[in-house]
Amino acid sequence: MRKILIANRGEIAVRVIRACRELGISPVAVYSECDRTALHVRLADEAYAIGPSAPRESYLRIDRLLDAVRRSRADGVHPGYGFLAENAEFAAAVRDAGVTFIGPSPQAIATMGSKTAARRAAERAGVPVVPGTPDPLPLDLPDREIAAVGSRIGYPLLVKAVAGGGGKGMRTVTDPADLADAVRSARSEAGAAFGDAAVYFERRLTRPRHIEVQLLGDAHGTVLPFVERECSIQRRHQKVVEETPSVAVTPSVRRAMTSAAAAVARAVDYTNAGTIEFLLDEAGAFYFLEMNTRLQVEHPITEMVSGLDLVRWQIRIARGERLDVDPERALVPSGHAIECRIYAEDPDNNFLPSPGRILQLRAPAGPGIRDDSGATAGLEVPIFYDPMISKLVAWAEDRPLAIARMRRALGEYLVAGIRTTVPFFRWLLAQPAFVEGAFHTTYLDELLRSRNGRPFAEPTPELEELAAAAAAVDAALSPAPAGVAAEAARQSGVIGSNGSGRWRAQARAENLRGM
Amino acid sequence: MQYDVEIGGRRRQVAVTRAGDRFAVTVDGVTKQVDVARIDAHTLSLIVDGVWPADVTIAPGAPGGDLTVTVGGIPIPATLNGRRRWTRKDEGGAGAGPQRLAAPMPGKVVRVLVEAGAAVRARQPVVVVEAMKMENELRAGRDGTVAEIHVREGMSVEAGALLIVIQ
Repeated sequence: MRKILIANRGEIAVRVIRACRELGISPVAVYSECDRTALHVRLADEAYAIGPSAPRESYLRIDRLLDAVRRSRADGVHPGYGFLAENAEFAAAVRDAGVTFIGPSPQAIATMGSKTAARRAAERAGVPVVPGTPDPLPLDLPDREIAAVGSRIGYPLLVKAVAGGGGKGMRTVTDPADLADAVRSARSEAGAAFGDAAVYFERRLTRPRHIEVQLLGDAHGTVLPFVERECSIQRRHQKVVEETPSVAVTPSVRRAMTSAAAAVARAVDYTNAGTIEFLLDEAGAFYFLEMNTRLQVEHPITEMVSGLDLVRWQIRIARGERLDVDPERALVPSGHAIECRIYAEDPDNNFLPSPGRILQLRAPAGPGIRDDSGATAGLEVPIFYDPMISKLVAWAEDRPLAIARMRRALGEYLVAGIRTTVPFFRWLLAQPAFVEGAFHTTYLDELLRSRNGRPFAEPTPELEELAAAAAAVDAALSPAPAGVAAEAARQSGVIGSNGSGRWRAQARAENLRGM
Repeated sequence: MQYDVEIGGRRRQVAVTRAGDRFAVTVDGVTKQVDVARIDAHTLSLIVDGVWPADVTIAPGAPGGDLTVTVGGIPIPATLNGRRRWTRKDEGGAGAGPQRLAAPMPGKVVRVLVEAGAAVRARQPVVVVEAMKMENELRAGRDGTVAEIHVREGMSVEAGALLIVIQ
């Protein structure tokens, strides 16, 4: 393989570009209209425009991506995560174009993409699944029979989309009277999000942890599971902090869970990188939840404690190499690693998206810190995509030291122009339950509800005075007459020639009034 | 130079006098010597009273102020000399007058959670707008009554579009 096209954007495209460079492979970027200035475009050897900003018109267009593959003569395609990474049709189209898809086979993607089919595969491999319906509910099932199925599973239960992900098409039902409505609304959400309205039921475990096992499989039958990742810190079913290893996993549970993960992967002849997700209950029993047939956002923490480069291995496996790694190296963690997902969201305003221009960015560095980012100062964070701008990872000899290091790094992280979740993480990593490792998948949502919207960082009177002094000094240093207005005009003037006109006119008027 | 800086609902009188590389900065009658070095267009490095270093970023635009001044990692909305016309209209505030709730970003209205005439409480979710792949609850900024609803479920809205007026 000499040239790889990365069918993705942002920080994960940058991550794959780095792996390509280290292997002497030429990286090719694709970009939508609003991503013209994105870092992944500027770092690649070639860059191909693939259409308008809306994902459906660019990053999700198989035809345009294949066109870029042909024009660049790339011989490999890395899908990253999100977008088409778990789309069997895309994987097959790449293969049929005579190009290597850096990921599992289309068949494995298709099997594991259906939650009910994946549960059957796990059961075949002898791995326990959360009690639930083996098949999707028939679309025309009358309410009376829906109720009968619900009482067989038991309450509380989850209505889940067969094609689901990210909490979409999912409903928790505690009262049997709410079941039929929950099925209807989950169907409609799933239909809109995935083009598939099929749902099934699963028993809802009380206060489970979300524990997952990363694995690699090569084309020669070797499956290599890694030490588990703890991903229970979630907001609205989205992971926000991950760490490895988990404080809740004993050596015997680790052995059982990693063997179970490998067995599921073997049952579907899995190759390349994938992750088996489990729920771990308070008694230490674990259940198969689903498989992600791609690289995960949180892969860096596994890299930090194993010393192995997962993206490099993805490429090596795709070109047919043998996975000649000592299994102990993957299963015995060296130290502890934590990841915080830094989002362009305003935590003090109910985590609303905070798109816009990054005016200043100083990422943390130093011992044990890794910032996998797609952001630079001057970059416009678009509204069209996932708001994750960076993954901040801290590694240290043990968990308390890794927490201390992450808190140090969060203190160094400086972003101006947009709001980010950095202040939220500074608060979260100081919570006693987090420090003790005593949490479960609904811990964070419960904690956030109990805060009732209080700001994550409240300035002291001294800091407010300092801010007032700094604002005045900045104005005194800025060219007269209107430092603030000129700043505002400069900031918005770059958004585009149309949108900025009104701002510029207002800024001019402001300046005129000042004179 | 004399400035009027509003932070957290409190106005502070700030006097700035230049003395070589340093500034004498008086906030509400208390004077401090501030050594100021500009790092880039938005960042100042301060050393207060010859000892205390602080990096400060000053960026235009913030809900609740003209500027966001970030000190010690904490973003603080501030308004300089009462230039409130740069303030975004979406935060409403707990103060007087009707709250005109506007879309903070472009997106699609997925749910309208209140009806015209309904009583709402501060921080109660009223509209859900989808953007950046996420559904975002927009909340009432104050107690009141829903006076006007300007959107329907399924509508696309631009940033700044008026959604709901709370009286």
